Amino acid sequence: MKKYLSVFKISFAQEFAYRLSFIMWRVRNVMQIVLVFFLWDSVFMGPQPIIFGYDKAKIITYVFGLIIVRAFVLSARAQDVAGEIQRGEIVNLLLKPVSYFKYWITRDLSSKALNLLFAVLEWTILYLVLRPEFFFQKDPLFLGGFILLVVLAMFIFFVLIFLVSALTFWMPEAGWGMQFLIIVVAVEFLSGGLFPLDILPVAIQKILYLSPFPYLIFFPLQAYLGKISGVVLLKSIAVSFFWAFALWLLMRSVWYRGLKVYNPPGK
Amino acid sequence: MLYLAKVEKAIIVDHLVKNFEVTEKKPGLIGAFENIISPRKKNIRALKDISFTVTKGELVGFIGPNGAGKTTTLKILAGLLYPTAGLTQVLGFDPWERKAEYLKRISLVMGQKNQLWWDLPAIETFELNRAIYEIPKKTYRESLDELVTLLEAEKLLNIQVRRLSLGQRMRLELIAALLHQPEILFFDEPTIGLDLVAQEKIRNFIYDYNRKHEATILLTSHNMNDLINLARRVIVIDQGKIIFDGILDELIARFAKEKIIKLTLSKEIDLKELEKIGKVKKIQFPEVVINVPRPTAAVAASELLQSFPIADLTIEEENIEDIIRKVFRGESRKALHK
Repeated sequence: MKKYLSVFKISFAQEFAYRLSFIMWRVRNVMQIVLVFFLWDSVFMGPQPIIFGYDKAKIITYVFGLIIVRAFVLSARAQDVAGEIQRGEIVNLLLKPVSYFKYWITRDLSSKALNLLFAVLEWTILYLVLRPEFFFQKDPLFLGGFILLVVLAMFIFFVLIFLVSALTFWMPEAGWGMQFLIIVVAVEFLSGGLFPLDILPVAIQKILYLSPFPYLIFFPLQAYLGKISGVVLLKSIAVSFFWAFALWLLMRSVWYRGLKVYNPPGK
Repeated sequence: MLYLAKVEKAIIVDHLVKNFEVTEKKPGLIGAFENIISPRKKNIRALKDISFTVTKGELVGFIGPNGAGKTTTLKILAGLLYPTAGLTQVLGFDPWERKAEYLKRISLVMGQKNQLWWDLPAIETFELNRAIYEIPKKTYRESLDELVTLLEAEKLLNIQVRRLSLGQRMRLELIAALLHQPEILFFDEPTIGLDLVAQEKIRNFIYDYNRKHEATILLTSHNMNDLINLARRVIVIDQGKIIFDGILDELIARFAKEKIIKLTLSKEIDLKELEKIGKVKKIQFPEVVINVPRPTAAVAASELLQSFPIADLTIEEENIEDIIRKVFRGESRKALHK
């Protein structure tokens, strides 16, 4: 365990090596929040108090929650893995008594911890400035469900990235393209990262809910908003668990096979 | 029961085969489309049934032309490649399983790969390795001190890696690779791209490390000095096969087909006459260099002394470097393939 603590520390140091780009990135985040806020604020200026079953406080919360959950779930350091395989840098870790998967999870958590630190600061300031009609969930059941679902979502997304990156073992050139396809197209659209999924036709929703994607963003947020409760909440936690486990098993077997055919480039 | 002197085999490679499947690339845009529609797979036989063993504490040089299979062998031994067939055993482990206990006892240093964190000072990478290899604090301190002194790297530890020169970085790479005091070391072109002084430093270091820690070392190199100065035993690989395995002197004896006669003439002569004795390699009056076949060297020398005005004559062995250069070029095939 101690070795992963060291990985955590060095990752943290690494993030700070590029201070300027880190600051720019945070500025981008803040801008994004401000823009989204004004967009929805003006949408609700109109006569309709409720759109798609969301009132102003809840849509603002959804949108803000979206940014928060996205920042945690969809920001994964492990996006570098495909490149490491392609360039052969993965070799450095394969040669060491360390688990590659745990190594990247640690780096991921380190990066997320840093994000959390800054995010809390930014949100506090923004909240005080914008004074949005924010929906605070106070029920511990929903909050607990939310946290559990977010943790599962982080794991699912992480495993998905590892799974997609493993394709690089067979197709060294395809790694990045595949990642783009999966992450940008599949995940962004199907996870509820752009809009709440329950505005879609019910038939599509039903099919979608069987896939792992809505459990990345949509379901955690629904739990926070208190829109799913009781059996539905339990069911979504169960499905999320199922996907986390199933994808993990799949990822392990794909990696095992991938490493067998892998020929790291470089003499 | 028969008691044999127990010689500890650190590395056993038996009938090792490695094939790669590669997709052939056709040039141009049309070729690229064809590749997508019907990729042409080709099987490359990188290692064709090779066998050898290495005793604990030995320092063995791997030589052969580019693409002969040297690096492939090292990668298999380090557990990076899955062998197609055959047995490999290092310190009693199957390298492919990459058990932690195994990885803690080996190291692979590749001249073109780096493990140091680019944006951080090297000391950070060392600390990370200490944790990963679970090196006790005291051992780590001693090990680091020793390596830093040997490689003269005191002043480099706290500088961002990307600000260092290649030679400086290579020395730090070595420290990172050796902090856990591996018993088995695989070096792949350790001196590539370094200037002469840096090469010398690395070479001396490898030599000392082998002696001091009784480490078993396998090294591939295109640098003749690496081999001449470091390896007593060499394994020549060519086209995926071992074509020679023995001491370096023996390789030279086997491959040196000529001897070199150096003459000092006492007056000018018709050089055509000299051509009859052997290949005239160099003339710079009064010095002449002639290559003659080994078996006839003595006869040639006496003939020279009888028929020509010669002030001085010496018979020398072919230059080791020339011989090894021929091996690198793959010219050894005819000479060594039986």
